[in-house]
Amino acid sequence: MSTTAPRAKKRELAKIQTGIVGLDDVLRGGLPAGRMTLLCGGPGSGKSLIALQCALHGATAGTPAILALFEERATAVRQNVLSLGWDMRSLERNKSLFLLDARVNPEAVISGDFSIQGLLAILDQQVKALRPRLIVFDAVDTLLHLYNDPARERHELNALHEWLLDRGVTAIMTVKADAQEPSPSRYSFLDFMADCVIQVDQRVTVQVTTRRLRVVKYRGSGYGRNEYPFIIGENGIVVIPITSSTLQHRPPGAAVSSGQVQLDGLLGGGYKRGTGILIVGTAGAGKTTLACLFAEAACARSERVLYLNFEESLESMVSNMRSAGLLLQRPVDSKRLVIQSWLPEATGVEEHLLRALDALDEFHPDHLIVDAISACERMGTKHAAFEYLMRVLDACKRRGITCIYINQATSADVVSEISGIGISSIIDTVIALRQLPVDEEIARQLIVMKSRGTKHSEQFHDFQITERGITLATA
Amino acid sequence: MKPRTRSFAFRLFVAGHEPNSMAARENLTRLCETHLKGRHRIEIVDVFKRGAVALKHHVVVTPTLMVIEPQPGVTILGNLSDTPRVLTALRLNGHER
Repeated sequence: MSTTAPRAKKRELAKIQTGIVGLDDVLRGGLPAGRMTLLCGGPGSGKSLIALQCALHGATAGTPAILALFEERATAVRQNVLSLGWDMRSLERNKSLFLLDARVNPEAVISGDFSIQGLLAILDQQVKALRPRLIVFDAVDTLLHLYNDPARERHELNALHEWLLDRGVTAIMTVKADAQEPSPSRYSFLDFMADCVIQVDQRVTVQVTTRRLRVVKYRGSGYGRNEYPFIIGENGIVVIPITSSTLQHRPPGAAVSSGQVQLDGLLGGGYKRGTGILIVGTAGAGKTTLACLFAEAACARSERVLYLNFEESLESMVSNMRSAGLLLQRPVDSKRLVIQSWLPEATGVEEHLLRALDALDEFHPDHLIVDAISACERMGTKHAAFEYLMRVLDACKRRGITCIYINQATSADVVSEISGIGISSIIDTVIALRQLPVDEEIARQLIVMKSRGTKHSEQFHDFQITERGITLATA
Repeated sequence: MKPRTRSFAFRLFVAGHEPNSMAARENLTRLCETHLKGRHRIEIVDVFKRGAVALKHHVVVTPTLMVIEPQPGVTILGNLSDTPRVLTALRLNGHER
């Protein structure tokens, strides 16, 4: 006989949404309700804006918030968020928001010990009046620095924490961290006090700025454990979550013609819908032609293709392909083929990623082509490019979109170079193109090197680019 | 001399009867008795009872002593235990003791 003690029912932690796109996913629903969240980062890292946006999101949705500003002027903050589309004044007027200018006069003389009871008295009054859901303490370290005594700082923070717990109000505290030292060691005890700790930072690599966010801990809740890039866009902060589970990927779909009959034969029917395909080869090997062949065939079947071109403009691409007998203008006109040309170095990788994801959501393509992933390194670093490509491919796989990456090999030995910025592990099919000098001429060759779940030939095949597309010798 | 006739107006923000606030009251009273006899006014504001006044003057720490007169005013934070510092802030060190 088994004696099973009645187990306490597992209670879901109550959370409040931040309202920040992506961040609620990373936090599995939002911030811990009735608890304290610590947000630390260097100057200009965006921590204040994250906290501010949470407060304004709630206030706009009818759940009041209090904002205590220890460093910035209230007028400056109102002005800053106005450019992001928030009118704090109107929220303040209808009692959804209370802005407390909690800056201490920098010329004040200190004589003897003091406490933050004044702050708590003011807040108590406002808590009664507004019944806020959230209180933000922005740059609370500025106030604590007055003590110049870690033990006293800790004592006062404890008092503040107790006060918050008594009132059951959710709080966000932002604290400055050293650039060299991501965790504010001076306030390491805050980490213990807070139920949720989030670090943000800003890095400049190869003249491209990237902002990142990481959840360090979250008591009683799961959370995304990666470093997530975020941007400050026109409407505020947008966090870009990396999907943690590849389980959400759809299984490979049915074979879809590559646009080239013999190649379909080599691939066992064609590309598999919703998979990742890498076309790699040296410059001029015919990579773009091969991809455009597929795009043209797909559009002829009334499917939609999104072509992200980092190498050339729409016009030059359409005109170049004409010489290979590919007529892209018609699908462009009928909007089945959308070609977006971008300069990789124009913005940081986050912005590129956001554009790509937006395009996927707006256009709902059946297939995506990125030409060329080797150019993505110019978005910042090799690592940035890798992240971009991982996430775009991941987004495609989740949506069942076929994703074709074109990569330009730097040496003739394309076979050893297929690793393509390290993404080959998540690629299902690799097609390598090479050019070999044979008797004063250049011979073009193609090999299908990897094709998951299909029978495929593993040898080089000669091919030619003619004014009527590609001809492939399969004999 | 003009400085001798200066009169002082203080507004002391306290938080009920917590120790620092009690100490500040005592320290201020003693200092006035010693240095400013007959030429000072003290207004005590308990932030727990008059939170609106604390808000109006952005008083987030207690005790806070605001010197309203003479101008220019000065703000002194803390329980006023460091008498020389307070005297310096009030521009009283030296001549008027």
